Amino acid sequence: MMKLLDITEKYGKATHKYPFEPYNVSANFRGKPSYIYDLCIGCAACGIACPSNAITVVFNDDKSKLVWEFDCGRCIFCGRCDEVCPTGAIRLSEEFELAVKFDKSALIQRGELDSQYCTVCNKPFAAKRLIKYSFECLSKANLGEKRLEESKNYLSICPTCKKTATASNFTSGKEMVIE
Amino acid sequence: MKTYEVPQEITDANSLEQKLELLKHIGRSFSVYRIDCGSCNGCEIEIFAAITPMWDPERFGFKLVANPRHADILLCTGPVTRQMYYPLLRAYEAAPDPKLVVALGACGATGGIFYDAYSVLSGIDKIIPVDVYIPGCPPHPASIIYGLATALGIMEQKLQKVSFENDGEMPPLVEDSVLGNTLFERDLLVASKRLMSYVFGRKLYDKYLTALAKSENVKDTKAAKIAITEAIKTEIDPRYAECLGILHNDIYTQYVPCSEEDKISLHRVEWGQ
Repeated sequence: MMKLLDITEKYGKATHKYPFEPYNVSANFRGKPSYIYDLCIGCAACGIACPSNAITVVFNDDKSKLVWEFDCGRCIFCGRCDEVCPTGAIRLSEEFELAVKFDKSALIQRGELDSQYCTVCNKPFAAKRLIKYSFECLSKANLGEKRLEESKNYLSICPTCKKTATASNFTSGKEMVIE
Repeated sequence: MKTYEVPQEITDANSLEQKLELLKHIGRSFSVYRIDCGSCNGCEIEIFAAITPMWDPERFGFKLVANPRHADILLCTGPVTRQMYYPLLRAYEAAPDPKLVVALGACGATGGIFYDAYSVLSGIDKIIPVDVYIPGCPPHPASIIYGLATALGIMEQKLQKVSFENDGEMPPLVEDSVLGNTLFERDLLVASKRLMSYVFGRKLYDKYLTALAKSENVKDTKAAKIAITEAIKTEIDPRYAECLGILHNDIYTQYVPCSEEDKISLHRVEWGQ
């Protein structure tokens, strides 16, 4: 019996002291996705990539805002959102203390983004920040000034209007430029 | 679909005051009964990892029991399949009052990835009242210990609902390109993610750009080749080293006109020298 105690003394205590001391997770641990609202452009890539639909990106009722919503209770911590996010607004953190009492809504994170209205049909189709980000990308991609001005018009038109405008220009024999 | 209605006598015997009273004057270990309501067994594996001496929840008196009639805490996993609906109810009614119900895992909390499947009821809270939700797929043993500790009031809840509503000015997100064309950075990031996945691909991308920035003139192919070769030689991890060379040969040569000798040779024989 005493010999057994000596052996345990020799090898030390393996038990983590966790709740009384902070526990450091191992490298590349996939914890709760952390959301940085300032960097989010509302491109909805994370919503499409999310296999369990924990992230949803939808317009609100009067379509004045694009609402990004994340339900941590449904998240399966696969990291697909981290993989596709172009600006690094969503990254898996090392946070693992996620339990909540009674009220499940404490697991929810939301972010509202202003929506961009189409200059032709005046319907909302994307977030304002997405249009701004796309233009910023294009302006640093070595484009000519005329082409850049043209793309600025293109960006603020919804896909349906873009299609009709291009088709009507094309059929009337004009160049594909949207005024 | 009409699901179970909790009988009045169970609701009366399970009020918050009575639960707090139980936690205060328990005077013995907490018996945990585990109910598998159609889980994939990932959560079960983590529960058994959590009750090993490595984590040792018996420090706080948690003890797994084999009978719901002995239980104080019901640890429910799984999205509640139709087959497990009645067994769950039988276990719930058999457990003595007051009882704590803990929904473990993404499936237990909301249905997880199976939330809209035809054969599940999506979450324990659709059927019986739940006290603590532990998300995770599966939760880390430390998360389980934290969740059980929160259930007992040893630790405080850390998460709160977060909502951002004021859409302010966006910071500039696109950095200036080293070659004067952001398409180079875009292609570089795509290629490095393809080579080394997203976590390590980003590290590779950073390594390549820092190595390239060390050459005096980025557009000079000779200087760029020397800078990247230097980075490959000093790199400890051979996977990063080889991928740095592949990136240089595939992407850099597309954006700066290069001759054949500006490419870095990646033949395996030369690695041994």
